[in-house]
Amino acid sequence: MNNSSPAISLESVSKRFGSKTIVHDMSFSVEKGEIVGFLGPNGAGKTTTMRMIAGFTTASSGKVSVAGHDMSSQNEEAARKLGYLPEHPPLYDTLDVSQYLRFVAHVKGVPGKEIKSEIDRVATACRLENVLNHEIYKLSKGFRQRTGLAQALLGKPEVLLLDEPTAGLDPGQIQETREVIRSFGERHAVLISTHILPEVTLICSRVAIINHGRLLAIDSPVNLQRAFEQTNRVLLSASAPAEALRAELLSISGVIAVNSRPVPGMDGMLNVECQTDAREGVEAAIARTVATRWNLHRLERQQPTLENIFLRYVAGPSAAETPP
Amino acid sequence: MTGLLAVYKKEMLAYFRSPIAYFVVAVFLVGTGYFFSYNMFMSGSASMDETFRNMGILALTLLPLVSMRLFSGEYSGRTMELLMTLPLKTWELVLGKFLGAVTILLLMSAGTFIDLVPLYLYGNPHTTTILTGYIGFLLLGMACLAIGQLFSALTQNQIVAALITVPVLLSFWYVGHLQSFQTSYVLRSLLGYLSFAQHFADFIQGLIRSEAVLFYFLVSAIALTLNTSYLQWRR
Repeated sequence: MNNSSPAISLESVSKRFGSKTIVHDMSFSVEKGEIVGFLGPNGAGKTTTMRMIAGFTTASSGKVSVAGHDMSSQNEEAARKLGYLPEHPPLYDTLDVSQYLRFVAHVKGVPGKEIKSEIDRVATACRLENVLNHEIYKLSKGFRQRTGLAQALLGKPEVLLLDEPTAGLDPGQIQETREVIRSFGERHAVLISTHILPEVTLICSRVAIINHGRLLAIDSPVNLQRAFEQTNRVLLSASAPAEALRAELLSISGVIAVNSRPVPGMDGMLNVECQTDAREGVEAAIARTVATRWNLHRLERQQPTLENIFLRYVAGPSAAETPP
Repeated sequence: MTGLLAVYKKEMLAYFRSPIAYFVVAVFLVGTGYFFSYNMFMSGSASMDETFRNMGILALTLLPLVSMRLFSGEYSGRTMELLMTLPLKTWELVLGKFLGAVTILLLMSAGTFIDLVPLYLYGNPHTTTILTGYIGFLLLGMACLAIGQLFSALTQNQIVAALITVPVLLSFWYVGHLQSFQTSYVLRSLLGYLSFAQHFADFIQGLIRSEAVLFYFLVSAIALTLNTSYLQWRR
């Protein structure tokens, strides 16, 4: 591998099926040691993009390279550097887990003497030790998913592509799988597609948001959140007359809009939501103003969640207005 | 080569872990046994001629059941995505699968050796004729499997793959019969050349004609090449 080349690189990549364009002019790259989350609603083009990077389909135009190898001309060299878990784990139901892993290890060119230790390594990482001799069709969904992941990890590939790796797992297994991916991502490049948003914040160093086959944003979760902090939301609960409180709040500079609701069963208490601009100290001013005249029970500043950001990108600003 | 070997091993495991291979081999052996005893008692001669002809027809109808799963099964099991993204050359995949199927064909043929026991015990059969018959049967079977494998790559449905393969193979078998309706010499020769049955008949009579050997190899090679190109194009 050329050390200067990114682990995954897409340059103006498009994919057309007949007259339909599934992926439009997509460009981004993933470096070694990075876990990038690929976020988008169903049908956004995530799987098609993954498949182009994996070499299962070729790009209609543009250039996809993996570990410096062009997928259109050096498919096999690139495939040696790649571990891929497709959306549906590609398993042979009639084989045992160990037979299946042995087959994949053979094809990936793991030397004969190392195959056993390599299978043990991935089986331990994916907690498959107890099912190695089970036929795959007898496995539960979680084990099937983890067998698929184990297959991708075989041969310590430089680049790992995981299409919804935690789908169908229970919470404990999701936790374990994330740990596996996280530890792998320290030394390798990982591109992981998902629509579970917390997953992205937990393990990814960068997020790519795509919709209708277009890349809408790619940045770290923190930067994406910061970009959306132009408008903030401050939530407070206070015992106060509604109109007076509203007038007082609107008089504070930085408060754009106020929306209050009585708390059911708590006489005279209000839940208030203030839209504020991004300037520093607005919450402090609100707290001071309210507390000097009335009883302030609670005040919090709500940061934009990744979910809001995601919805803003894929469905336009109106969708993000409704709190989750 | 590592890839080819790995695919071959995986294929063999898959055959012996699914009932279809056992079923096909069993039906073939029962069928061959039936025709063998029928031919023996009817003709009273210690030869395999008629039995080889019957074996040919049986292979034509049963081998598509072996080849139907080769790629259709990979598509429907969604494992094609794995095979096409592993560091595996397309020809290694195609040839590995083909050699796996040919191994089943060899087992089928070996199973019929049991019929030779009474033949040698109670008669005086012509060994070289039997040998050439088997060579012809293997070549015929290889061509059938290569064609079946090609059709298996064209559809996700195994049944459809088998249902297309059987009539195509039967057409290749019977195409020689159309010869008598042709006045043009070129057309007559072409139909004769394409006939699976006519080439096979040479082997049954104890002849190994290079033309016939070349024919079966050519059919297999063309089918396997088309198979490889199709898979590459499919990307």
